[in-house]
Order: sequence, then structure tokens, then C-alpha cells
Amino acid sequence: MSEPPVRLVVEDDFRRNRVTVFFRLLLAIPHLIWFFLWTIVAAVAAIVNWFATLIAGRPPRGLHNFLCSYVRYSVHLSAYLYLVGNPYPGFLGEEGEYPIDVELPGEPQLQSRWKTLLRIVLAIPALLIGGVLGGGVGGSFGFLFNRGGRGRSTSNGGGFTGGGLLAGICAFLGWFACLATGQMPKGLRDAGAYGIGYAAQVRAYTLLLTDRYPNTDPTTILASVARPPRHPVHVVGDAHDLRRSRLTVFFRIPLAIPHLVWLYVWSYVVAVVGILNWFATLVTGRPPRPFHRFLCAYFRYQLHVYAFLTIAANPFPGFTGRAGSYPLDLVLPAEPQRQSRWRTFFRLVLVIPAWLVSLGAAVALFIAAICTWFAALATGSAPWGLRNLMAYALRYQAQTNAYVYLLTDAYPHASPLEGEETPQLPEPGLSAA
Amino acid sequence: MNALFGARTLHRAEHYSSVSRLFWLGGTIVQLLVLGLYARYGERWTRESAAGPVGTGMLLGMLGFALVWAAQLPFAVLSVWWRHRYGLSGSYAQATVGNWFALGAQFVVLCVALAIAMNLARVRRIGARWWLPAAPVFVGLTILLAFVTPWLLGGKPFHAAYVARLERVEDVHVPVRVISGFGEPNAFATGLGISRRVFLWKPIVERPFTPRMDRFVLAHELGHLAHNHIWKSVGWYALFAFPIAFLLALATRRRGGMGVPAAVPLAVLVYVVVQLAALPLRNVVSRHLEAEADWSALRATHDPRAGRELFRLFAVETLEDPNPPWWDYVFLENHPTLLQRIEMTRYWERYAAAQSP
Repeated sequence: MSEPPVRLVVEDDFRRNRVTVFFRLLLAIPHLIWFFLWTIVAAVAAIVNWFATLIAGRPPRGLHNFLCSYVRYSVHLSAYLYLVGNPYPGFLGEEGEYPIDVELPGEPQLQSRWKTLLRIVLAIPALLIGGVLGGGVGGSFGFLFNRGGRGRSTSNGGGFTGGGLLAGICAFLGWFACLATGQMPKGLRDAGAYGIGYAAQVRAYTLLLTDRYPNTDPTTILASVARPPRHPVHVVGDAHDLRRSRLTVFFRIPLAIPHLVWLYVWSYVVAVVGILNWFATLVTGRPPRPFHRFLCAYFRYQLHVYAFLTIAANPFPGFTGRAGSYPLDLVLPAEPQRQSRWRTFFRLVLVIPAWLVSLGAAVALFIAAICTWFAALATGSAPWGLRNLMAYALRYQAQTNAYVYLLTDAYPHASPLEGEETPQLPEPGLSAA
Repeated sequence: MNALFGARTLHRAEHYSSVSRLFWLGGTIVQLLVLGLYARYGERWTRESAAGPVGTGMLLGMLGFALVWAAQLPFAVLSVWWRHRYGLSGSYAQATVGNWFALGAQFVVLCVALAIAMNLARVRRIGARWWLPAAPVFVGLTILLAFVTPWLLGGKPFHAAYVARLERVEDVHVPVRVISGFGEPNAFATGLGISRRVFLWKPIVERPFTPRMDRFVLAHELGHLAHNHIWKSVGWYALFAFPIAFLLALATRRRGGMGVPAAVPLAVLVYVVVQLAALPLRNVVSRHLEAEADWSALRATHDPRAGRELFRLFAVETLEDPNPPWWDYVFLENHPTLLQRIEMTRYWERYAAAQSP
């Protein structure tokens, strides 16, 4: 695939100034007013641009540059609000002025007139997903049609910056983390950047800056971001396995019902085993092996079923959660790991932030599954970007579950990027010796 | 018949039923055609499974019924349209999307059945004789389902002055409940032992049905329980279960037996054909049980007139043909015809008069 025309550039470190973080929403007020005014002009410009592109097959250069600046400015402002970037952004949306930036086509591009004519209809799936991940142009223009003035928000939920459930949750959690540590956790930063990057693609597509449909693939959006270390709980599978059987796609929900019933029955036993496991781990500092293996099988099976249900994977899964039996599989620690008793004791409290992120990921998964259903029915294959978004959401949920049920002590990592294998370091105890 | 039902009702019922029968016939032919093709080519969907042999068999079984559902969808929609033309209830959403979800429930049962049959067939010591242990397992599951179902249905308690008296006369003491969500007047008895219940569909306890008719309906349902019809039905099922399982084992032998996923599409076809072939016999049994329950209701209520009015009203409200053609009677009628039921009330009158001193 050729280079994406809309590329997010992330050059920021994780350091955050506690004072500006604390007052971030207030500090952003001038920007929000400015963005509001800019959006009104951009809406008019977008309509003119649409007509001009329909006639000439290419947007006029002046309008193209103006809308590029608008999209770039929205990225800067979103990054500032969502704590993805630290410095206060400028008001002009200039290229290269902010550490979280977006590269857009320098010149107006030739566009298909049919796609231009239907652009707003074609953009609906992208707007939906963008609304969940990091906001879209619909969110930006939403206030123009919101005569009652209710439901406006400055940071989330379809307000001036375009909403975005996942980025909003990450910003909310990141706010506390930044205040406590002065650093934005990488996972939350990456997830926020991912949402903003996707929203920028949606805006660029809707405003006719590019003809290329937005792509939700995390590795494409976060190409300039370093991958995190590999989490002990991760998914494996061939990302290029995109073929889908139309028949099983059409009947996906009824076909999954026997699995869901079985999962439901199994979950009762898992709840009991989970409680026993918690007590056992508190006492011995390590989960008993039979419990560990039983829970691993359950969560592996859960991933298989959800992957099948959401069309993240194609084949009908087995009923036992056997490792290696499904093309999108979950890797879990083979043996029970030693766990901190304190963290075990407070596990249900500690997991709350992860649950919040998981909620955002679950909504994204749901929307992506619906879009994939239609796409797979039409084309017989799953869109590459959506497949990888779903794999991310499933992975994060699996990591959260594994953390809650003490299969690992490692906190779920919110970064949409797949973890990278790091060289094995000696255990701290050994190196001290 | 004209005097009994009225010429207009009779004409409407006959016309409505005649087209409804065509829909059934069309749906059945399409079902057989689809399953025939699926038995031939269904094996190719094996590659869509990562579930091992048994799971793959389940997938193939479900896909077979899914295709049948899709092929019968036009008939389901046409049936609703036809019902609407005659002022009967029916929902397009239920006939399409609603049934799509109901398909999932059907799949659960299918998966359980296939899991039992295929796992037994894959046991080396059992192999082709899987039908011998499978049939009792199916019967056991049927008993379990019959036992559990009443608790799953819910409903609201039905209070009427005559309930206690009828229960005393029939010597059956069970909860009577009303369930809503249905557009047609109906009732049924279900459950085994302590789970026995009578369920009345809401329309039957509403106008134009009168309390006397409801009393007759309740007596009929209590009659089912008094004569142990649920157990008898299970017994009949058991009698059918062995030969049907044997036929499946026989039919799938050439495809490697029931333990092989590729045999499942054929097994589905054979199962549906056998079920169709067994329909006349099952209907004979069912009609016999229903007639016994009618007789029980007449003995308990001593109100043949209420029964007569009830059956007459059924023709008006549900447009059931009082005197259907022979093939309809053989294949589709699991109750005596309305005419037969009315005749029974008249016979009871003569019988009661002869018995009285």
C-alpha cells in the first residue's frame, strides 16, 4: 500500500507540566472560542469546496490550504486537550509548530466526482468510528445544528473538538496520572494519539483534502510512535487473513449463540474459581496451577468467540479454548506468576481505570463489528484497518480480564500498537546477587 | 355447516386456509430443495471452521437450517401479509428479524443434539451404534426440557372462581397462568410432576371469549394433565427417537458415519424428511390426545354448549377451516377438526342424557 496521505507525527515526550495539566480545560478556552469561529468559516468553505470539486474534479488551492490549516489546528487543539501533547498550541494550525502534528497533502488532489458527490454518505462509517475513537468532523460541525445548545462539551461527547470516547477516557485518566507523576503514561498517550490521528483522517476525507478512505490500522496511524514492550498477555494471528465467508457473516449472530450460551454457563464457574483463586493467591503469593490453566482456557475461548462474533476472525471456533486452535489467538503466561500480595488484595480497585479504557475499546469494537459486517457481506473480506482495530480492542479486554483474574501482574497496556519483543533482562534478584 | 358457522365465516376460513396451505406446501418444497442441495454441496463450508470435527459438524448443521430459514423467508413474509388481509395479527419484524434471533435458540438445541450424536459416534467402542445410547439421552433431555419449561415461561396468575372446582373435579392441582405477547387465542398444559402448569394466552381470557368458554378451555388443559398426556407424549417421542436415530446412522454410513462433519448436511436432510414422513402418525397420536382432553372437559364442565360456542368462535377468530381437505387433515391437523369437536359435544349431550336416570 502506498504512503498514507494523512500522517500523524508524534514527537512529544511524556513529560507534562502539572500546573498546565490541572488548568488544561480553562487554558484551552481561548482556543475553543477560536475553534468555534473557525469551524463556522470552515463549514462554509467545505460546502464551497464540495461544489468546486464536483465541477473541477480537484479542490481549489486556496480552499485546500485553508481547510488543511483547519484540520491541523484541530489536531493541535485535540492533542492539547487530550493531554497527548504538552505545550500550548498556536492559533494558526501551522505545519511543524506542534509536537503532535499531521502531514496533509501539500497540493490539491484529483478526486473522483462520484465519490465526491457521495462523500458525506460514504463518510458515515468513518464518522461513527471517529466519534468513538477521537472525534470526527461531524462532531466538529455538530454544534451548528445543535440549536438547543444542550449537550455541548469542551472535551468529550461531540463538542467543539469533536468528542471521542476512547481519547476522552484516556485524557480523563491521564489527567490524574499527570498530576500524580508529571508524566503521561505511554499507553494512554498512544491511545489518545491514535484517536486524534484517526479523527484527522476522517476530517481530511470529509473535507475533500484526500480521496483515501480513513484507515483505523493502529500501526499506520502511529507509524512515528515507538512500540511498547510486549505485554505477557497479547494476541497472535495473521493480520492479513482477511477473507470472510459471506454466508457465515450473514448468520454470524445466530451462529454465535450456542457459543454465547456456553460462555455464559462457563462464566459462572469462572466467577467461583476467580474468587477461590484470589484467596489462594493472597495466601501463597501465586495462583494455583489448575486455577490458572482453567482461567486461561476460559479467556482464550472468550477471545475466540468475540473474535468470531465481531468478524475480527473468520472460522467457527471450538468450544474448549485450546491454545493455537484459532487464527486470532490469545497468548497468556504458561505458568502461574508470582504476584504482589498488596496488588492482589486491591486488584478490583486497581483495575477500575483499565475497565474505563476497556469500555471505550468495547464501544469501538461494537461499531467496528457492525461496519465490518456490512463490508464483509459486500466484499467477502474484512477491511484491514477495522480488523486491526478490533484486534486491539479484543487484546485490551483480554489483558484487563487477565489482570482481574490474576493471570498476570502486568497492568493492561492501552497502546493500540502491538508490543515489541524486548531482550530478556535478568531478574532483579539475580542481578543484585 | 353453514348454519353452524355462518356462510361468510365459512367462506373466509376456507379461502384463508387454502392459501395458507399453499404457503406451507411452498415452504416445505423449498426446504427440501435447499436441504437436498446442501446435502450435496454443504461439505465445502468445512473450511470455515476451526472448531475440530464436532464443532465443524455443529457449524454445518446450523448453516443448513440457516439456509432453510433464508429460503423460507419469502413465505414467512407472505404469510404475514396474508394474515393482515384477513385482519389477523402478525408482525413483519417478528417474521424476519425476530425469527433471525429465534434461529439462534434453535441452533443451541441443534448443537446439543449434534454434540451428543457426534461425540458418541466418535467413541471407538460405540462407533456406528451411536444411536443406541443417543436415543435414551435425547429422551432424557426431552424430559428435562419438559420439566424445566414451565418455570421459564413466567406469566401472571389467573384467578377465576371456577378454577378450584375444576381442579377438584379433574383431580389436578396446578398453577394456572396467563402469558401475554400472543395475538391468537390459545392455551396449553406443560410440565412434569411439580412443574406442571396450565398457560392461557392472553387473548383467550379477553372478549369475545366468555368465562364459560374459558372454563371449558381450562378444563380441556387440566384434562391433558389428568390423563398424563405430557408423559404419554414423551413416551411417543421415545418410540420415534430410536428408529429416527437408527435411520440417521444408516443414512450417514456412506459418508463415514455421524462422527464425521461431512455427514452432517446429509443427516439434516434425512432428519427433516423423516420428520415430514412421520407427521401423519404424530398427528394421529396428537389428535387422539386432544380428543381425550375434550371429552375430559365435557365431563368436568357438563357444558357442551360452551364448548360448541368456543369452537365456533375459533373459526371466526383464527379462520381455522372447520372441515379441511384430507391431505391437510393428515399432514397439518394435530387437533380434531372444529367440526369433529363440535360433533363430540353433541355426542356427549346424547351420552349424558342416556346416562341420566
